[in-house]
Formats: sequence, structure tokens, C-alpha cells
Amino acid sequence: MTAGTDTVGTESAPTEADPAARAGSTRGRLVLKGIHKSLGGKEVVRGIDLTMEPGEFLTLLGPSGCGKSTTLNMVAGHLLPDSGAVEVDGRDITRLPANRRSMGMVFQSYALFPHMTVAENIAFGLRMRKVGAARRSRRAAEFLELVGLDGMGERYPRQLSGGQRQRTALARALIVEPDLLLLDEPFSNLDAQLRVRLREEVGALQRRVGTTTILVTHDQDEALAVSDRIAVMAEGAIHQLDVPETVYLRPATDFVAQFVGEVNVLDGTAAGAAADGHRCRIGGTHLVTATPVGTAPGDGESVRLYVRPEAVRVRALPEAVSGKGGPATTSAPAAAEPGLPGTVEATRFLGTRVRCVVATAAGRVEATLPFGAEVPGLGEEVICAWQAQHASLTARP
Amino acid sequence: MAGSARVADGQALTPDGSAPAPGGSRPVAKRGPWRTGLLLASPAIAVFALLFIAPLFMLVYNSFRTQAGAPTLHNYTRFLGDSFYRDVLWHTLWIGALTTLGCLVVGYPFAVYLRGRSPRARNYLSLVLLSPLLISMVTRAYGWLVLLGPKGPIADGFQAMGLEAPKMLYNDTAVVIGMVHVMLAYMVLPLMGSLDRIDPALTPAAKGLGASGWTCFWRITVPLSLPGMLAGSLIVFSLTVSSFVTPAILGGPTVKLMPYFVYTEATSNLNWPYAAAIGFVLIVVTTILTAVYARLLRGRGGKEVFA
Ligand SMILES: Nc1ncnc2c1ncn2[C@@H]1O[C@H](COP(=O)(O)OP(=O)(O)O)[C@@H](O)[C@H]1O
Ligand SMILES: [Mg+2]
Repeated sequence: MTAGTDTVGTESAPTEADPAARAGSTRGRLVLKGIHKSLGGKEVVRGIDLTMEPGEFLTLLGPSGCGKSTTLNMVAGHLLPDSGAVEVDGRDITRLPANRRSMGMVFQSYALFPHMTVAENIAFGLRMRKVGAARRSRRAAEFLELVGLDGMGERYPRQLSGGQRQRTALARALIVEPDLLLLDEPFSNLDAQLRVRLREEVGALQRRVGTTTILVTHDQDEALAVSDRIAVMAEGAIHQLDVPETVYLRPATDFVAQFVGEVNVLDGTAAGAAADGHRCRIGGTHLVTATPVGTAPGDGESVRLYVRPEAVRVRALPEAVSGKGGPATTSAPAAAEPGLPGTVEATRFLGTRVRCVVATAAGRVEATLPFGAEVPGLGEEVICAWQAQHASLTARP
Repeated sequence: MAGSARVADGQALTPDGSAPAPGGSRPVAKRGPWRTGLLLASPAIAVFALLFIAPLFMLVYNSFRTQAGAPTLHNYTRFLGDSFYRDVLWHTLWIGALTTLGCLVVGYPFAVYLRGRSPRARNYLSLVLLSPLLISMVTRAYGWLVLLGPKGPIADGFQAMGLEAPKMLYNDTAVVIGMVHVMLAYMVLPLMGSLDRIDPALTPAAKGLGASGWTCFWRITVPLSLPGMLAGSLIVFSLTVSSFVTPAILGGPTVKLMPYFVYTEATSNLNWPYAAAIGFVLIVVTTILTAVYARLLRGRGGKEVFA
């Protein structure tokens, strides 16, 4: 039952019909090639290239109006690209109408049919595929159970809570065993707590059924929590496409750095490759390391560093340098490590963490100290350092 | 399917704790707001009672009297016992049904078309739709008289093609054409309201699940616009069976409907009780028919559509 699109219409043993038995699917390989699209005289999507592996969970992350839904609708077949191609499993489907593709889509409004019961909603796709009534209702019951709505099949959408509607929409999309599952801001109409819970559930469900999935969202926490890879979009173009850790720790552009979380931006000059990354001189003298995005810059080139506050370690300067007896002095030879010295300007208690602001030669550097870490005093001389893989190095724009 | 098919630890996908939307509960009405509401509605209630309820009572009362004022059932036995008047009733209902059907056939595609237009285009097109209501009924009917007449442009068109023009005036066709022209707005406006309330994502959702354009239309758009169809049909039918001017001008001597006889009995024959009885028969029959129609449509759509 791994690869057949036709299995929906055929009778099969109950174990084979188990919707959870499809993990490790080998279909649903999506390729987007140079997609462009203008709407209302404005170029909304400007050249999207993308390859997804079967079973992958990819998130299109970007601010409202950047063209995420437009891109998703071209994958679904609701919009025709002006140029470029959409391929699924090697087949060009660019001009195939939506009703002849195999895409399961969940809309922001859920788009449940209000005049049909939950079970009828879920079975709609099977009905369109001319599956018999008996088999339809059996499959609907299975999928109701899969999304935890057992016994609610006879209700109408109006009688469901937001979370239950969302699950119904998910079951309706998955029952046709689509090539791809497309989720357009599916959590944005839920309250904060339920949103977190449902996104975990959807992530778990996706891993279980193994359907290649695209999630559209403007919420970076959501993207980081559930995705295999994230494509950060702005103004119709993908700025960075990588695993969540890399997108977060090593943003490729100003936009990605600012959009995906708080960040320290430091300008300097490249100063040669190091064992674990690339050296960079900041404020003329201080050496730090970072990982170049793309090709490494030549020596002396202007570069820009992005470092997340969480990645910055703050240590008291060794006594020999600072001339003061700091309690936080570590046994490690701090002077031997690269870092950026500065003075603690402010510390803020944020509940689970402490935010420490350090004034350095390159401007303010913010650091988030882990829970239980020693908090330096105001005015204390410290050194800010980070591992090369926790900072990105880009050519300065 | 075993419980193992559930995601994660079985706990994860149980229905969330929040209660389903309460069906019957409504805020407890306090006396204050209720009284304010009554106060606000009182002018309307007064007008309604004075101009509608009171005349209706007088109408019913009069219809059970002789011209001299004695109680009688004669007006009703005369109407129902005379096949001429029964035919007039059927003819009236038939014209009402044809006009309603005509408005649906012309108005539904128009409403669907309007749904996809920009607000600006919708405003202009709505103006076109409402324009017949801005012209005097008599003027409008004479306009059709000219258009459909034996020397009118339509007859000329037939002649130009070497065909003999069919008789287009002073028959049911003329009356229905004229009535559809007036009544179209009363059908399209409720339909637009109904169509606007449909989530625009429903059609792509159905398409994505394999439905063709036609299937989307028949399974999604039509059922969900039944409330608008119902409201529009009821208005158009009720107004048509009680209309006087348009049938009188376009129907000529052959199409005589119920309102015409109410008029002649009251003004020419000065038989007010009989006129009242004809009017009341029309009211009762229209009410029964519209109730049956409403029931049928509601049955088709189910309570979810009409909620
Ligand atoms: N039918 C349309 N006509 C004109 N402009 C549109 C239309 N649909 C979307 N747009 C514009 O295209 C841009 C991208 O829209 P969309 O893909 O929905 O963004 P996102 O989903 O990222 O919020 C927006 O600026 C929006 O205003
Ligand atoms: Mg969107």
C-alpha cells in the first residue's frame, strides 16, 4: 500500500487499509522549476526553485503577502504559473487541473462543507473517486479515528470546536492518499495553546503516514518546531532553504536573520579560514569565528556576521587582563579563545533565562544566558564568544 | 484498525477538551434590553397594525357579509363553485410560477457572475439590476408594449429574416417577460446575499478532492444558496400573483388575473364583499403554496444550510 494511488478504490485487507501503514512512502517527490506568477499586475512569485524528497515536511515561512499561498495554490493547481514547471514524481503537472491532481489541501478557514456531516466531509474525496458507499463509510470511520474524532462522524462542522474542525479538514485531505499534503496556515485560527498542541500532532501524524507535506506559515516557532526543512520567503523569492537549525543559527540574509528571531548583526572583515570555520576581524583587532554561507570570502573583504543571542557565551575576562578578581573566572584559558570583549550594560530577567547586553567595540551584543548560569554584574568586563557553527558569515550587502 | 494507528501516545489525538459550540443556549434575556427593544420597535408595530392587520381583519370580515351586511358564505361558494373563477385562480398561480422560474433561470447565473466581480463592478451591475424599479410601472409596461408589439423592433427583426413574427403581445408570454423584468432584482439580491456567505475556499477545496466544476456547482454552490433561492422565490411569487398594472397592460383582454377581478368587483360592480373574498382566497392559497415550497427547499438543504 506504499505507492499505489489506485489503492483507494480497491478492496483490501483491513491491515492494508490502515492509514498509518504508509510510513516511508516513496512517492510525492515535488520539483518546482523557476516558477513566476503575477497577480493584479504585480509580480507576486519571482522565480521559485525547489526540490522536495518523498516524505519530507517542508515549511514556506515568510511574512503575510510574500506569496506563500500563491505558491501553494500553483502546486495544488488552483493557479497557473506564468512560467516555470511543477513536477511530481517526474511528471510535469503544471497544466493539470486541480481536480485531476492528487493533492490534499487544508485551508486556513478549513473550508469544510457546512451542509455535510463530518463523515461526509471526510469521505468527499472518495465519493468523487466513485468509491462505493460501504467502503467509503468504513474508510471515513478509520480516518475519524486516526485524527481522534471517533464517534463524531454524524455531527455537522458548525457543532465542532476549532481544533476538531482542523482535524476534520486534515482527515478529509489525507483520506485520498494524496501525493502531497498542502497546509495553508492551518493553525492560525486556533488559540495559542491549542496551536502548539495541534502542530505537534500534525507533525507526528505526518511522520506516521509519510506524506510529503508543505506547510505555509508566518510563525517562525511553528516552522522551527515541525519542519524537516524551511524555505524562508520574502517578496516572492526564497531567501534560504535549509534545515531548521541552520536557518536559525546561520541565516543567509538580513531578512532571514531578522525574521526568524532576534539576532546580533556584526560587521567586520574576513581574516582567513580556521579549522572549524572562518576567521573574521571585528573592530579592527578582535578575532571571532563564523561559518561562511556559500563561498568563503577572500581575506580583507567586508563581511557581516549573524549570531543569535542564545549562541553567545559571556565569560568574565581573565584577572590578568581585566585587573579585577571576577567570581566567574573559568579554568579555561579564555585569552586563547577568540571573542569580543565588552562591558556589561544591562541584564534582564526573563523568567526562564537572563538577557545580558554587552557594549563592545562593534556595538551592543545581546546574549541569552542559559538557566542557572552565573549572571555577570553591571559594568563588569566580559568577553563574548561563540562557536563557529553557531554564527553565519555573509558578504556585506 | 487498532488503537496503535493513533498518532504518538494515544493521548495526543483525543478530541480537544473544549466543548462543541452550544446549540441551544442563548444569553438570558434581561427585562431592560427587552423593553428597550419593544420601545424601538413600537413605531413599526403601530404602522403594521394600523395599515396591515386592521385592513386584513376588515377584509376577512367583509368577505363573509352580503352587500347589505348580513352574514353569509355566498361569496366563497360563488367563487369556488364557478369554474371561470377557479380557472382565473389557476391562471394567476401559473403566471406566478412561470415568473418565479424565469427569475431563477435568469437571476441565478447573474448572481453567480456578480459574485466573482470587483466591488466596483458589482455596484454598477446592481444599479442595472435595480433600474427597472426606478421607472414608473406604467412607463415600463408601455415600453414592453412597444418592444413586443406587431410594429416593434423584435417583430421587425423577424421580418428582416423573412419570418413571420409570432404574436408576442396580450398573452402569457408578454406578462411573464414584463414581470421577470420587474421582479429580477427581488430574486438576485437575496441570491447574492446567500452566495456571499459561502466561504470562497469551498470550491477549490472540492476541486482539490477531485470534483469537476459542475460537481462543485451542484454539490456545493447550489445547496448552500438554497436560502437565497427560497427568499427570492417567495418574494417574486407573492408580488407577481398580486400585481395589477403589468398584467393589465401587457396581458390585454386575454390575460385577466385575480387582482383584476378584485379591482373590477370593487370599482365597477361595487360588490365589495365579493372583491374581499377573491382577495382573501388569493392570500390563503399563496400562503399555503409558499409554505409547501419553503418546506420542500428546507428539506432539500437540511437545517445546516438554513441555520
Ligand atoms: N487575486 C489577486 N489579485 C491581485 N493580487 C493578489 C491576488 N491574490 C493575492 N494577491 C497579492 O499577492 C500577494 C501575495 O499573496 P499571498 O500569496 O496570498 O501571500 P501570503 O500567503 O504569503 O500571505 C499579496 O500582496 C496579495 O495582495
Ligand atoms: Mg496566505
